[in-house]
Parts: sequence; structure tokens; C-alpha cells
Amino acid sequence: MIIHLNINTKEFDLEAPPGATLLDVLRREGFFSVKFGGCESGECGACTVLLDGRPVNSCGMLAAQAEGHRIETVEAIGEHPDQGWKKTEGLHPIQQALVEVGAIQCGYCTPAMVLAAKALLDRNPNPTEADVRDALSGILCRCTGYLKPVQAILRAAAAMRGESVVGLDAAGEPVALGWPAGQPPEENGLPPAPGIAEAATRQQVLPKIWVAHDPGTRTSVGKPERKVDAIKLVQGKPAFTNDIEMRGMLVAKVLHSPVAHARIKRIDVSKARALEGVAAVLTWQDIPRVVYSTAGQSDPIPGPLDSFSLDRKVRFVGDRVAFVAAESEEVAEKALELIEVEYEPLEPILDARKAMEDGAPIIHDEPEYVNFANSDPSKNLAAEIRIDIGDVEKGFAEADLVFEQEYSVPKVQQAHIEPHVVVTYWDEDDRLVIRTSTQVPFHARRILAPVLGLPIKRIRVIKPRIGGGFGGKQEVLIEDVAAHLTIATGRPVRFEYSREEEFIAARSRHPMRVRLKTGVKRDGTITANAMYVLSDTGAYGCHALTVTGNTGHKAMALYVGDGEYRKSPNIRFYADVVYTNTPPAGAYRGYGVPQGFWPLERHIEHIARALGLDPVEFRLKNAVRAGELHPFSTAWSEGREPRPEVIHTVGLEQCVRQGQAAIGWERKFGNPAWHKVEGRPELRRGIGIATVMQGTAIPYLDMGGASLKMNDDGSFNLLIGATDLGTGSDTVLAQMAAEVLGAPVEDILVYSSDTDFTPFDKGAYASSTTYISGTAVVKAAQQVAERIKARAAAMLSLKNQAPWDPDEIRLAESKAFAPDGRFVTFRDVAHNALHHENQEQIMAVASYFSPVSPPPFAAQFAEVTVNTLTGQVTVERLLMAVDSGVIVNPLTASGQIEGGMTQALGYAVCEEMVYDDHGRARERDLVDYHIFRANEMPALETIFVETYEPSHPFGVKAVAEIPMDGVAPAVGNAVLDACGAEVFSNPITPEKVWRALRMNNGG
Amino acid sequence: MILEYHRPASLEEALRLLARNQPKTLPLGGGTYLSRKVMEDVAVVDLQALGLDFIQIHGSQLEIGAMARMTTIIQDNAIPAMLRSAVEAEYPLNLREMTSLGGAIASNDGRSALLTALLALDARLVWLPGENEVALGNYLPLRHAWNEGKLIRSVLIPANSRLAIESVARTPLDRPVMIAAICQWPSGRTRVSLGGFGQAPILAADGPDATGADLAARNAYLLAEDEWASAEYRSQMAYELVRKLLHTMKART
Repeated sequence: MIIHLNINTKEFDLEAPPGATLLDVLRREGFFSVKFGGCESGECGACTVLLDGRPVNSCGMLAAQAEGHRIETVEAIGEHPDQGWKKTEGLHPIQQALVEVGAIQCGYCTPAMVLAAKALLDRNPNPTEADVRDALSGILCRCTGYLKPVQAILRAAAAMRGESVVGLDAAGEPVALGWPAGQPPEENGLPPAPGIAEAATRQQVLPKIWVAHDPGTRTSVGKPERKVDAIKLVQGKPAFTNDIEMRGMLVAKVLHSPVAHARIKRIDVSKARALEGVAAVLTWQDIPRVVYSTAGQSDPIPGPLDSFSLDRKVRFVGDRVAFVAAESEEVAEKALELIEVEYEPLEPILDARKAMEDGAPIIHDEPEYVNFANSDPSKNLAAEIRIDIGDVEKGFAEADLVFEQEYSVPKVQQAHIEPHVVVTYWDEDDRLVIRTSTQVPFHARRILAPVLGLPIKRIRVIKPRIGGGFGGKQEVLIEDVAAHLTIATGRPVRFEYSREEEFIAARSRHPMRVRLKTGVKRDGTITANAMYVLSDTGAYGCHALTVTGNTGHKAMALYVGDGEYRKSPNIRFYADVVYTNTPPAGAYRGYGVPQGFWPLERHIEHIARALGLDPVEFRLKNAVRAGELHPFSTAWSEGREPRPEVIHTVGLEQCVRQGQAAIGWERKFGNPAWHKVEGRPELRRGIGIATVMQGTAIPYLDMGGASLKMNDDGSFNLLIGATDLGTGSDTVLAQMAAEVLGAPVEDILVYSSDTDFTPFDKGAYASSTTYISGTAVVKAAQQVAERIKARAAAMLSLKNQAPWDPDEIRLAESKAFAPDGRFVTFRDVAHNALHHENQEQIMAVASYFSPVSPPPFAAQFAEVTVNTLTGQVTVERLLMAVDSGVIVNPLTASGQIEGGMTQALGYAVCEEMVYDDHGRARERDLVDYHIFRANEMPALETIFVETYEPSHPFGVKAVAEIPMDGVAPAVGNAVLDACGAEVFSNPITPEKVWRALRMNNGG
Repeated sequence: MILEYHRPASLEEALRLLARNQPKTLPLGGGTYLSRKVMEDVAVVDLQALGLDFIQIHGSQLEIGAMARMTTIIQDNAIPAMLRSAVEAEYPLNLREMTSLGGAIASNDGRSALLTALLALDARLVWLPGENEVALGNYLPLRHAWNEGKLIRSVLIPANSRLAIESVARTPLDRPVMIAAICQWPSGRTRVSLGGFGQAPILAADGPDATGADLAARNAYLLAEDEWASAEYRSQMAYELVRKLLHTMKART
């Protein structure tokens, strides 16, 4: 049918089937700002458009329904302010504000936020914070925690009303050993009233930074620089994998297994192949049988090889059965229905505790299986870890008391709003191009080559912008599907997961059962600490060893004991990682560490209370300190040889003290009056803490490279293999280059990543980009700076004087200054080098891998209100004080903390993936799998305690993953503090609290 | 798949189209669900041009057009405040702008606070043709049957009753695992409905006063067990929430 649409004030007559959604039609016509979040009933809101000025989800309505209405997309709102000779009005004030305050992370939902804000401000120029949060309620954001978008919209509203807006730099410059002016350390107000939180959105956008070193003079590092990709993302430019149309492109679909464990007895695809519009149908019989691991890790992958693109056996509900490529999505779906499969059912293992029982069915009985370390498929064992540090049994024998308890943590989903998506095609040189939303483009190329039967050199992986990953895209998950179909058909193929597929056939956080045993002296000295973990990797062992290893490596390293025990800690970490017939687990931000800190921090709280000790002081008494060995560095290193490693900076105590002061710990903890809510006898307030540590990169293994090239105008191309998945890593790497070169950040043109053009980088994981890739960038920039100085020294030297030593040349403001104050501009230097004298391309390539993994530390605080009648927990406030070393960009760093805390809040109270007796998922969309919306958030606050990590050129440590670690146990401890309910498994649901309270009451 | 799209300008035309069974023809009412992939071949009738988005007061009754959007309902002060709050909590803004009352009644499940509240209010559905009134409680168990040639024109709710709702969920805006709604009329008549479970909310009590409503609620959910909560918990919560609501309502009088 012909549909008449008014889009951005222009009239369109469009041919589309009656069932076409408005989203489909808009994207087909090139309105790529309208995003697909994988859902089909509008729960994520990424596809928001304005219909007659009101925000609606274009995936949830037919295009025909929009006829007669006015459609607006972000393409018509704001433009780049500088387009050569053409004058534009620039960005809309809402867009400007979103860019300025760092409200854009991955940017996938940003166009939707722009539209929602515009709709609000068009009808209400003076909104309250609640109005803004309500306006954003239809848009799920997994990156930001909503705080900065709310701040941006409030600031935009004020600016549009003609009011002055507080500048970003209101916080003042950092000073050594204390607070900058205007950053009071005292408590910040009272928590909001129970119910939907009115988060205290402050005029001051920047986080507080308590500086524990001399920050010196910096021009770019430490500054709230605008994200280098913000302008394009806020305009909704076609920056993502799926924002591309190719002639003849096919749509791929996968037939997923409806059963948890079975052999495929017979599969008949003849009807599907005969369907008009079907280009290819592939089963296990059609493609080479190559065993591999989907884990996006360096070579050799530290885990078993146990996966095939397609197999004759299915191992979970959602496993792959067949691939289809067709001319349209509808045809592909119909083809899936026409595939006839006869399964020979096998007994499934759905409970990890039964995986290693005698007589248990064997999930991986294929002869091609390749072991790694102690994996043993005959026992359904994907990995085994046995670490003993010190003499644990002696430590228990010396303890006055031994505390033992079992805890459990659930399987949860990354839930990035951009689904997994890939486009593959043969280029004109018959090289296979894989355009994919991946965190690991170089690993993907290496891993896919044998699977596809191609040499690495004939594969090019392009990583456009990524709409969130959080570890879910540290996996070669779907690239092979499209690639096999391109090989089969010779045509471009697009494959994108639906939201349901994200839940049934992507990766997740490993669920674990954890038993802790801790020996303690009555004075609070820990004498020995032992953790046993039963980890469920699901049907495949991707990341099985390394995720679970980190559970112990990070969590069990924090408390070493005190006195003699501090010198020689007694720590045990044993783990069995088993296969089950559930969807595979994998990498998820935090990478095993949140699973360790939930039990550890609940256990520590329990011990402190049992001993009558102050839980804060008990933690600090036993926590690792600066100058001490990382206890696990002598025992384990992701399956490789361990090397002893001293921890040089530990800002934990300062994190605790500053966090306590800001949240008013002394006034609240142990104060019965504060715990009561006037007029609501069934409500109780509680406050809790958790202290945590993470790592920064993987030592002696993961490497990042950088290439830096000077252009005619004195700008620089920075080419990096590092993958910015919304974290702002492109920006902080540019800041570090700018700092070294004495250039503004806008003169650093960052491109990432493309295996043909950018240097190798391990990818975005293990909290490593700022540290590893950043050091590579600094090294490259130093080499370029040397060349600039050498040439400038020659250019500035006078004939009758001794030439300047290049080391005397100072680079600043895009100029090279001689000691006498004369200077040449970078443009002069570039022109001299490229065109005038001793011509050369000023450029450098550098790479870096680290011998250490300096841990960041944090204190996480939570305030809750518990309804003792129902068990319902309302989290009122989260505050995190973090030692991540020097903060390169306080906007992007605090954005990481806020977003991470929000994800972790879901882990605390609502997120989990549950399966029935047949292995079928309970959660298949973002309705049942609830992630927090803008209008139900608690107050969020971030404090940075800046230490200076000596192993990095600018003193940085990681920030990305640590916010995942402490929220859940802090909330658990706050619930305990509120009402005495001891819940040993997260998420802390109302029924669990109710049952715990009933137990306390003898029920 | 959707074979045809129609946007009739009159109710008569809409009813004529909906009476067809070749192809099967369904109303497109703004529940956001029919736009999903429909595997069977159907035609759809878009109701947006029929003027069914009204809200009117007739004496002690409120009549809400089936195509009234959730945004309209929230913004109209004639609608009971608790009902508006329930809608606001249940629907994010984008869905409020899209979802119609009729669409919600046709598609929401037992975890809908809106549907639970409407059941407590003893909402009545006015069907076309014929303007037949059907109690919501009678419609819910049968709603998945295809109402060939029929259309909900409007929903009638009392304007003189008092409504109160309580729910339990994992977060402030998560789908509740337990909902209790109570409606009291000036005569003392008290209706209690329960939600948070199953395909539809259920009626727990409807009597001349509130006597025994809490126990009735507990009994009504004795078997309300699913993967989200145990029957034991729901049953006890039904009791507690109804007691609390009754206490609150009593305190307000």
C-alpha cells in the first residue's frame, strides 16, 4: 500500500506492506536516528519519534497509523554548528546541554532522549525534576543512570528560559590533599521520602574529587572535556553497525532449539529452501565442523574449545539449529517455520549441583572437544580452580571463632540497548568485511578465521559505534552466522538479535553458589578466609575459568587479615565451573567480581555484628594496604604463570571516610530514631556499606596499540584498536594525547577501530583501555612530540646562536615555544615537515602491555526503606567513593560510576534470569526483566578519591567495572540494618525479606 | 501477517469491517500488541478516527471512550486520583501516549494495577453494536475469544465511589507481584479485587460492607502460585494489604 507520511515537515508517499511498522519504514527511508532496541512492544523506547509533538514508540505502531500525523525525528533537530561556508543554527539547546554535561555514553538512546525532552519543554518550559524524569520514563538507558540526562534537560530548560546556568567548572581546580574550593565534604542533605525518589539533582554537574597527591598543572587530563563522539551521537547520525543499507542485502534469522538437551535425529530444510525469497538455509550438515571458543580473549584462549557454528546436538533452549538468509524478515521468519526437526531428547542438567553427580548426562561428548587446564567434559567440568595462599587450616585453628555460610548469586543479563548486530559482505577484493558491534574486533577476526575457512588476512572487522556492551559483546556471538550466509550466498547479510534472542541465546553473568568460611580473633583479626564456588557456565565454557577465577582473585584479595596475618595471609579459593543445559554465561561488567563481593561483604557484615565490632572499622582493620603484595599475584593469573605484584596505591580508607561524611553515617548508623519513619510504623530505614576492589587490565598479557599522525594544519589522527563501547575511552585517550602534545582535544581526531587500519588492541574489557591503550597513546604522543620539538628547535634556532636543544622546546597551545619565548605553530611545523625541509611524516606507533594490574578501591554506601509488612525494599540513595587513581575526565568517569551503580542496583533488587523445569526462560523481554527507569531511581552520588598510580604516565587506575561490585551487598547490609532480615541470595525480593523477617519472628 | 489496514471514518463502517471473517479482521485499538508480528493472516481496523477518545460524566457515572489514551486519563481530574496514579506507575510516558483504555482492557494481564482497579470499580464495558453493557468481571475470562463484529465503545465507572490501591513489587515501577484494590460506594458496598498474578485480576469480595474482606482476600489467593511469588506469600499479602487499605479508608471517613 502507499502510505502518506509527514516526516520532519516534508511529505512522503511510501510503498510499504500494511503490516510495516513505523520504525521499519523510517529506517528504510534513512532516518537512522530512530533505533531498534530489539523489543516489539515499546519497552525500551530507543525507537521514539514525536507524533504530533508527543513521544511514541515507532516499533509499536504501524506506519499506516501515522498517516495524517506530524512525525519528527532527531534528523530535523539541530545541526553541526560548523559546516564550512554554510551557516547553521547549530545544535538545539537540549542537544548542547546533553553534550556539555556528559549525558551521552553509548548514545544509542540519545536521539530518543532529545525528542522526549523537546516534547516536554515545548509544552512545559519550566519543568521540575520529576517532570523531566517522567518525560524520560519511556526510554531505557543502560549506561548513564539517568542523572546526567536529567541534569542536562534541566540546564537546557533554564538556558531556553534565558536564565544563567552554572558553569561546569564551578567545582574549582583540584588541590593536593583535600577538597577543591566549593566542594564541602559534609553530609549532603537528607534522603528523599519513601516512594519514587526525587534524586537530588545538583546544579553542580561534576563529581567531588578528593585529591591525595599533587595534581600539578594539567591542561587536558583531569578536565571535563566534551566527548569526541558526542556531536554525532546527539544528532543521531548513522554511526552504529545497523545504520547502513547495501544493495541486495539479505536478512538472517536463526532457528533456536525449543529443547534443553537433544540430538538432532533428522532435519529437513527442503520446504524452507523452496520458499520464494529464501537465499540460503544452512544446517550442521552444510558447513565445516570447526571447534572453537566464542570467548573474545587473547591467544591462547584460557578455556575449553567446545563450540561449533552449528552442531548435531543442542545443549540449551535457544541453542542454534539452522541459519536462514532471505530477502526480508518476514520471509526469513516463514522459512524458520518450514524447517522440520526431529529431536532425540536427552536428559538435561538444569541444576549446577547435579552436574558432577555420578551418572549425570554428559553435555559435551563430542570428540573434537579441546581441554584447557583442568577442564573435564566427562564430569561436565569446564574449569577447576584450587588456590591456597599461606596455611589456611592453621589460620582456622588459630581463630577464636569460625563463621561459615552459603550464599548465592543469580544469572543476569547485560541488557545493552543496542542488540547484537552484524553486517557481512565480500568487498571488491573478495575479502570478507564484518561490520559488527563488538568489544573485541581483533579477537573476533582471529577466532573467526578458522571457523570460516579463511586466512586472517582475508577478513576485515570494522567496529562502528557500539550501543552498549558491558561484556556481552566480548564474545564472537553472531558474526559467524552472517559470515557463513554471506559465504553461502555471495551477498551482504544483516543479522540482528531480537530482545528475546538476547535473553535466550546471548551471554549472561555466571550464577554461583558460594560457601564462605572465615576464622576471626575476638579483636577482629581475620586469621583465615576460604571461599568455595560452584559456578554455572551454562551449555558452553566461554569465560568459565577466567570469570570465576576473578571471583576469588579480586574479592578474596581485599581482606588479608591484620598483624602477623597481614604479612602472611591465609586465603583459600576453590572453584568448580560446571556445564548445565542453560544459556551460556560469559563476560559481564565486573567479570566475576560482583559474584564474589555479594557473599564476602554480607559475610563480613555478619561477622562484625556477631562480634559486636564496628563493621566499618572491622573492614579497614583487615583490608589490604599500600605497599603490600596482592595476595593472589603469587598464586593465579587467569590461567597463566603468576608473578608477584605490589599494590602501590590504596585509597580505601579515604574512600570510607569521605563516603561516611557525605552520607552522614555517624548520625544514622546505630541511631534507633533515624531508623523509624514517622507515621509509618511498618517502615524501617537502614544504612549499609560494602568495600570493594577490582583490577586494572590483565598483566603480562593484554596489549593495546596506537598510531598518531600529524596533519597539515597541526591536527592529529589518532588511530586506535581500542573499542569505545560508550564509556568515553576515545575521549580520554584523546585527552592523554592532547596533554602530551600541548594541543586541544578537538585537534585529536580519533578513529576506532578497524582491523585494516588501526593497530592491534585487545579490546574493551578488564577495565584496561585507559590504562593499557592509554599508555600506548602516551608513548606514541611522546614520540610525535619529540619529532615536533626537534623540528621546531631547528626552525627556531638563529643563525648566529647555538641551536636549541629539542628538550628545551615546550609544547603548549598547539605551538612549540623556544626558551626565549618565540614559537612556531603546529601548523608551521607540519607544513615544514610535509612540504618545505627534510620532508617527513611526523607520526609514531606505540604499544603497551603492563606487568601489573593496580587495583582500584571503593566504598559503596546504600540507604533503604523496608516495608516490614510486605518485605518491599525501596533503595533511597546510593553513594560511592572511589579510588580510581587520577581521573582523566570527571564527566565520563562519574558517568561510568552512575551507570554502573544503576546496573548493580538491578543486581541488588530485581534482575535475575530464571528457568523452568524444561530449561525455558522466564525472562524474555525488558518487561519481565526489569531494569530501572528514570522515574524510579534513588539519589546517586559519586566521590573520587584521587591517588596517583605510579605505573601509569598520568597515574590512572580503572573505573569501569568497580561500580558493579558493592551496591548489592551494601543494599543487603542496609536491609539487615533496617529490620534484621538476613537474605543470603540476591536479588533481594520482597518475598525473601518477608520470609527472613518471619524466620526472625520464629515463623 | 497483516494483509490489510483500514481506518474507517464511522462506527458503522468499522463494525462492517470487523464483521468479516475472510480475512479475520481485528480492531487496532492502541494496545501496542497487534503491531507485533502477527503470524496468522489478518486485517486490522484502526479506530483512531471514530471519536472514541472522550471522557464524560453522566450523573454518578464516568464514561471513558475506549480510545482514550492513558495520557488523557491521567490528565483528567474527573478520573479517580488513585486510578490515575495506577496508570502513571504502570505505563512509561511513551506507552501512555499510545495505549488506549480499550486496548489495555483487551490485553493486560493479572499484573496490571489498572485492570485490578477497574475490576474493583465494577467497570462496565459498552459494546457495539447494540450498546450492550457487560461487566468487566464477566468479560475478562472470555476476552481471548474473537469478538467477531463487535467493538468496545466505552467503559463506565462509578463517579461517586472511593478507590484505594496497594501493591508490592521489586522496585517502585516494576510489575507488581501483588495488587489489592478496594472500592467503596456511599452505600457501604465494598468490592475488593486482587492482581499481581495470572491472566487477569480476580474479584475477592463484593458485599454490602467490608466485613470479612481481608479474609476473603486471603482465601482468594490461596492457590496464587507462579514463578514470581509463592501462593503463601501472595495470600498473606492479600490479607495484609486489604487490611491496610480498609484501615486507610476508614481513617479518611
